[in-house]
Amino acid sequence: MSVIDVVSVLLLVAGTFFFLAGSTGVLRFPDVYTRLHALTKADNLGLGFFVIGLSLRADSWVVVVKMVLIWALVIVAGATAGHLVAEAARTSGVVPWRKPR
Amino acid sequence: MPGSTQLLSAAQARRPVERALLFAGVWFVVAEADLSSWTFGVPFVLVATIASLRLTPAREWRIRPAGALRYAWFFAHQSVAGGFDVALRAIRPSLPIDPKLVCYRLRIGPEHARVLVADTVSLLPGTLSAGIEEDSLTMHVLDCGLPVEEGTRLVEEHVADLFGIELAEEGGTIGPCEVGSVGTCGIGSEGAR
Repeated sequence: MSVIDVVSVLLLVAGTFFFLAGSTGVLRFPDVYTRLHALTKADNLGLGFFVIGLSLRADSWVVVVKMVLIWALVIVAGATAGHLVAEAARTSGVVPWRKPR
Repeated sequence: MPGSTQLLSAAQARRPVERALLFAGVWFVVAEADLSSWTFGVPFVLVATIASLRLTPAREWRIRPAGALRYAWFFAHQSVAGGFDVALRAIRPSLPIDPKLVCYRLRIGPEHARVLVADTVSLLPGTLSAGIEEDSLTMHVLDCGLPVEEGTRLVEEHVADLFGIELAEEGGTIGPCEVGSVGTCGIGSEGAR
Protein backbone atom coordinates (compact mmCIF):
# COMPACT_ATOMS: atom_id res chain seq x y z
CA MET A 1 0.00 0.00 0.00
CA SER A 2 1.25 3.44 -0.85
CA VAL A 3 1.21 6.39 1.53
CA ILE A 4 -1.78 7.80 -0.35
CA ASP A 5 -3.71 4.57 0.16
CA VAL A 6 -3.02 4.64 3.90
CA VAL A 7 -4.05 8.29 4.24
CA SER A 8 -7.16 7.61 2.17
CA VAL A 9 -8.18 4.67 4.36
CA LEU A 10 -7.60 6.71 7.53
CA LEU A 11 -9.81 9.50 6.18
CA LEU A 12 -12.55 7.03 5.24
CA VAL A 13 -12.41 5.52 8.73
CA ALA A 14 -12.65 9.00 10.25
CA GLY A 15 -15.65 9.75 8.02
CA THR A 16 -17.33 6.53 9.11
CA PHE A 17 -16.79 7.48 12.74
CA PHE A 18 -18.64 10.77 12.28
CA PHE A 19 -21.54 9.14 10.41
CA LEU A 20 -21.82 6.54 13.18
CA ALA A 21 -21.64 9.20 15.89
CA GLY A 22 -24.26 11.28 14.08
CA SER A 23 -26.58 8.28 13.84
CA THR A 24 -25.93 7.50 17.50
CA GLY A 25 -26.95 11.06 18.31
CA VAL A 26 -30.19 10.69 16.37
CA LEU A 27 -30.99 7.61 18.45
CA ARG A 28 -29.82 8.88 21.84
CA PHE A 29 -30.70 12.59 21.83
CA PRO A 30 -34.04 13.35 23.47
CA ASP A 31 -35.94 15.65 21.06
CA VAL A 32 -36.20 16.92 17.49
CA TYR A 33 -33.92 19.92 18.09
CA THR A 34 -31.02 17.99 19.60
CA ARG A 35 -31.30 15.31 16.91
CA LEU A 36 -31.00 17.97 14.21
CA HIS A 37 -27.68 19.03 15.76
CA ALA A 38 -26.37 15.49 15.34
CA LEU A 39 -27.65 15.19 11.76
CA THR A 40 -26.42 18.48 10.35
CA LYS A 41 -23.01 18.77 11.98
CA ALA A 42 -21.70 15.23 12.25
CA ASP A 43 -22.84 14.22 8.76
CA ASN A 44 -21.34 17.32 7.18
CA LEU A 45 -17.97 16.50 8.71
CA GLY A 46 -18.24 12.78 7.97
CA LEU A 47 -19.03 13.47 4.33
CA GLY A 48 -16.10 15.90 4.21
CA PHE A 49 -13.70 13.16 5.32
CA PHE A 50 -15.23 10.80 2.74
CA VAL A 51 -14.83 13.33 -0.07
CA ILE A 52 -11.18 14.03 0.78
CA GLY A 53 -10.42 10.34 1.27
CA LEU A 54 -12.05 9.33 -2.02
CA SER A 55 -10.48 12.27 -3.88
CA LEU A 56 -7.07 10.82 -3.13
CA ARG A 57 -7.93 7.74 -5.17
CA ALA A 58 -10.05 9.39 -7.88
CA ASP A 59 -9.21 8.74 -11.52
CA SER A 60 -9.73 12.27 -12.78
CA TRP A 61 -10.06 15.79 -11.44
CA VAL A 62 -13.63 16.02 -12.77
CA VAL A 63 -14.67 13.31 -10.31
CA VAL A 64 -13.05 15.29 -7.49
CA VAL A 65 -14.94 18.45 -8.49
CA LYS A 66 -18.15 16.40 -8.68
CA MET A 67 -17.69 15.10 -5.15
CA VAL A 68 -16.91 18.58 -3.83
CA LEU A 69 -20.05 19.84 -5.58
CA ILE A 70 -22.11 17.09 -3.90
CA TRP A 71 -20.55 17.98 -0.55
CA ALA A 72 -21.43 21.68 -1.01
CA LEU A 73 -25.03 20.80 -1.95
CA VAL A 74 -25.37 18.51 1.07
CA ILE A 75 -24.07 21.28 3.37
CA VAL A 76 -26.50 23.86 1.99
CA ALA A 77 -29.43 21.42 1.90
CA GLY A 78 -28.65 20.12 5.41
CA ALA A 79 -28.38 23.55 6.99
CA THR A 80 -31.52 24.80 5.23
CA ALA A 81 -33.58 21.69 6.00
CA GLY A 82 -32.37 21.74 9.63
CA HIS A 83 -33.44 25.36 9.96
CA LEU A 84 -36.87 24.66 8.44
CA VAL A 85 -37.55 21.57 10.56
CA ALA A 86 -36.49 23.40 13.74
CA GLU A 87 -38.63 26.40 12.82
CA ALA A 88 -41.63 24.19 12.03
CA ALA A 89 -41.21 22.37 15.35
CA ARG A 90 -40.94 25.66 17.24
CA THR A 91 -43.92 27.33 15.59
CA SER A 92 -46.07 24.25 16.11
CA GLY A 93 -45.25 24.38 19.81
CA VAL A 94 -42.75 21.58 20.34
CA VAL A 95 -41.15 22.45 23.68
CA PRO A 96 -37.42 21.75 23.75
CA TRP A 97 -36.24 19.05 26.11
CA ARG A 98 -34.57 20.46 29.22
CA LYS A 99 -32.02 18.81 31.43
CA PRO A 100 -33.69 17.69 34.67
CA ARG A 101 -32.51 19.87 37.58
CA MET B 1 -26.49 49.83 -3.73
CA PRO B 2 -24.37 52.08 -5.91
CA GLY B 3 -25.08 51.65 -9.60
CA SER B 4 -26.39 53.90 -12.34
CA THR B 5 -29.02 52.71 -14.78
CA GLN B 6 -26.26 52.06 -17.27
CA LEU B 7 -24.42 49.73 -14.93
CA LEU B 8 -27.64 47.89 -14.18
CA SER B 9 -28.53 47.29 -17.80
CA ALA B 10 -25.03 46.00 -18.53
CA ALA B 11 -25.43 43.59 -15.64
CA GLN B 12 -28.87 42.60 -16.92
CA ALA B 13 -27.48 41.76 -20.31
CA ARG B 14 -24.67 39.71 -18.82
CA ARG B 15 -26.83 37.76 -16.41
CA PRO B 16 -28.29 35.04 -18.70
CA VAL B 17 -24.84 34.37 -20.16
CA GLU B 18 -23.24 34.10 -16.70
CA ARG B 19 -25.88 31.70 -15.47
CA ALA B 20 -25.83 29.57 -18.62
CA LEU B 21 -22.06 29.25 -18.27
CA LEU B 22 -22.44 28.30 -14.62
CA PHE B 23 -24.99 25.56 -15.40
CA ALA B 24 -22.93 24.33 -18.34
CA GLY B 25 -20.03 23.98 -15.90
CA VAL B 26 -22.24 22.05 -13.49
CA TRP B 27 -23.37 19.71 -16.29
CA PHE B 28 -19.77 19.19 -17.39
CA VAL B 29 -18.91 18.07 -13.85
CA VAL B 30 -22.04 15.98 -13.30
CA ALA B 31 -21.54 14.13 -16.61
CA GLU B 32 -17.84 13.71 -15.80
CA ALA B 33 -16.73 15.43 -19.03
CA ASP B 34 -18.54 12.93 -21.25
CA LEU B 35 -19.10 14.78 -24.54
CA SER B 36 -21.92 12.50 -25.74
CA SER B 37 -24.03 13.59 -22.75
CA TRP B 38 -24.56 17.08 -24.17
CA THR B 39 -27.68 15.86 -26.03
CA PHE B 40 -29.26 15.95 -22.57
CA GLY B 41 -26.97 18.66 -21.28
CA VAL B 42 -27.95 21.48 -23.64
CA PRO B 43 -31.69 21.30 -22.80
CA PHE B 44 -30.76 21.00 -19.11
CA VAL B 45 -28.65 24.15 -19.25
CA LEU B 46 -31.40 26.08 -21.07
CA VAL B 47 -34.16 25.00 -18.67
CA ALA B 48 -31.99 25.66 -15.61
CA THR B 49 -31.04 29.11 -16.88
CA ILE B 50 -34.67 30.08 -17.55
CA ALA B 51 -35.79 28.71 -14.17
CA SER B 52 -32.95 30.51 -12.39
CA LEU B 53 -33.72 33.85 -14.07
CA ARG B 54 -37.39 33.50 -13.16
CA LEU B 55 -36.80 32.50 -9.54
CA THR B 56 -34.01 34.97 -8.74
CA PRO B 57 -34.00 37.62 -11.45
CA ALA B 58 -31.70 40.09 -9.74
CA ARG B 59 -28.72 39.69 -7.51
CA GLU B 60 -27.84 42.90 -5.69
CA TRP B 61 -25.00 41.42 -3.72
CA ARG B 62 -21.42 40.70 -4.53
CA ILE B 63 -18.77 38.60 -2.89
CA ARG B 64 -15.38 39.95 -1.94
CA PRO B 65 -12.67 37.39 -2.80
CA ALA B 66 -10.51 38.12 0.26
CA GLY B 67 -13.56 38.03 2.53
CA ALA B 68 -14.65 34.77 0.89
CA LEU B 69 -11.29 33.17 1.71
CA ARG B 70 -11.47 34.31 5.34
CA TYR B 71 -15.06 33.06 5.55
CA ALA B 72 -14.10 29.70 3.99
CA TRP B 73 -11.29 29.20 6.49
CA PHE B 74 -13.52 30.18 9.41
CA PHE B 75 -16.27 27.89 8.11
CA ALA B 76 -13.90 24.95 7.63
CA HIS B 77 -12.39 24.94 11.10
CA GLN B 78 -15.67 25.79 12.80
CA SER B 79 -17.49 22.94 11.10
CA VAL B 80 -14.72 20.54 12.12
CA ALA B 81 -15.10 21.80 15.70
CA GLY B 82 -18.90 21.53 15.42
CA GLY B 83 -18.75 17.97 14.13
CA PHE B 84 -16.32 16.85 16.83
CA ASP B 85 -18.34 18.52 19.55
CA VAL B 86 -21.66 16.90 18.67
CA ALA B 87 -20.09 13.50 17.84
CA LEU B 88 -18.40 13.31 21.26
CA ARG B 89 -21.56 14.39 23.06
CA ALA B 90 -23.55 11.73 21.19
CA ILE B 91 -21.26 8.83 22.05
CA ARG B 92 -20.37 9.71 25.65
CA PRO B 93 -22.28 7.48 28.07
CA SER B 94 -23.27 10.48 30.22
CA LEU B 95 -24.82 12.29 27.19
CA PRO B 96 -23.53 15.75 28.26
CA ILE B 97 -26.16 18.10 26.84
CA ASP B 98 -28.02 20.99 28.44
CA PRO B 99 -30.13 22.45 25.62
CA LYS B 100 -32.15 25.63 25.43
CA LEU B 101 -33.71 28.06 22.94
CA VAL B 102 -32.06 31.48 22.78
CA CYS B 103 -32.54 34.60 20.68
CA TYR B 104 -29.74 36.60 19.14
CA ARG B 105 -30.23 40.20 18.02
CA LEU B 106 -28.79 40.43 14.53
CA ARG B 107 -26.52 43.30 13.57
CA ILE B 108 -26.54 42.34 9.91
CA GLY B 109 -29.27 43.86 7.71
CA PRO B 110 -29.66 42.35 4.22
CA GLU B 111 -31.81 39.25 3.82
CA HIS B 112 -29.26 37.16 1.91
CA ALA B 113 -26.65 37.83 4.58
CA ARG B 114 -29.09 36.83 7.33
CA VAL B 115 -29.83 33.56 5.60
CA LEU B 116 -26.13 32.81 5.35
CA VAL B 117 -25.65 33.69 9.04
CA ALA B 118 -28.47 31.29 9.97
CA ASP B 119 -27.04 28.50 7.81
CA THR B 120 -23.51 29.00 9.13
CA VAL B 121 -24.67 29.05 12.75
CA SER B 122 -26.16 25.59 12.26
CA LEU B 123 -22.72 24.12 11.50
CA LEU B 124 -21.00 25.72 14.47
CA PRO B 125 -20.45 23.82 17.72
CA GLY B 126 -23.72 23.52 19.60
CA THR B 127 -25.96 25.99 17.76
CA LEU B 128 -28.84 25.36 15.36
CA SER B 129 -30.83 28.15 13.74
CA ALA B 130 -34.56 27.76 14.29
CA GLY B 131 -36.08 30.90 12.80
CA ILE B 132 -35.51 34.52 11.81
CA GLU B 133 -38.09 37.11 12.82
CA GLU B 134 -37.24 40.74 12.14
CA ASP B 135 -33.93 41.37 13.92
CA SER B 136 -34.00 38.24 15.97
CA LEU B 137 -32.35 34.93 15.15
CA THR B 138 -33.78 32.10 17.23
CA MET B 139 -31.26 29.37 17.93
CA HIS B 140 -31.35 26.06 19.67
CA VAL B 141 -28.27 25.64 21.85
CA LEU B 142 -27.05 22.14 22.66
CA ASP B 143 -25.21 23.18 25.80
CA CYS B 144 -25.74 26.40 27.74
CA GLY B 145 -22.08 26.35 28.75
CA LEU B 146 -20.94 27.02 25.18
CA PRO B 147 -19.83 30.57 24.22
CA VAL B 148 -22.82 31.08 21.92
CA GLU B 149 -22.83 34.87 21.87
CA GLU B 150 -19.16 35.16 20.88
CA GLY B 151 -19.57 32.43 18.27
CA THR B 152 -22.60 34.05 16.64
CA ARG B 153 -20.92 37.47 16.65
CA LEU B 154 -17.96 35.94 14.83
CA VAL B 155 -20.27 34.37 12.23
CA GLU B 156 -21.90 37.75 11.60
CA GLU B 157 -18.53 39.45 11.26
CA HIS B 158 -17.29 36.88 8.74
CA VAL B 159 -20.49 37.06 6.69
CA ALA B 160 -20.30 40.88 6.69
CA ASP B 161 -16.67 40.58 5.57
CA LEU B 162 -17.68 38.17 2.79
CA PHE B 163 -20.32 40.49 1.33
CA GLY B 164 -18.55 43.72 2.23
CA ILE B 165 -21.39 45.12 4.35
CA GLU B 166 -21.46 47.09 7.58
CA LEU B 167 -22.83 45.75 10.84
CA ALA B 168 -25.23 47.79 12.96
CA GLU B 169 -23.89 49.21 16.23
CA GLU B 170 -26.75 47.77 18.20
CA GLY B 171 -27.40 44.12 18.76
CA GLY B 172 -24.94 41.28 18.68
CA THR B 173 -26.23 40.02 21.99
CA ILE B 174 -28.18 37.08 23.28
CA GLY B 175 -31.43 38.54 24.54
CA PRO B 176 -34.86 37.52 25.74
CA CYS B 177 -36.88 35.43 23.29
CA GLU B 178 -40.46 36.01 22.23
CA VAL B 179 -43.35 35.03 24.44
CA GLY B 180 -43.81 31.32 24.93
CA SER B 181 -40.16 30.46 24.57
CA VAL B 182 -38.06 28.91 27.25
CA GLY B 183 -35.83 31.85 28.11
CA THR B 184 -32.14 32.31 27.51
CA CYS B 185 -28.91 30.73 28.62
CA GLY B 186 -27.46 32.28 31.74
CA ILE B 187 -30.04 35.09 31.72
CA GLY B 188 -33.28 35.32 33.62
CA SER B 189 -34.86 32.86 35.97
CA GLU B 190 -32.51 29.94 35.61
CA GLY B 191 -32.58 29.14 39.34
CA ALA B 192 -36.29 29.74 39.75
CA ARG B 193 -37.33 27.22 37.14
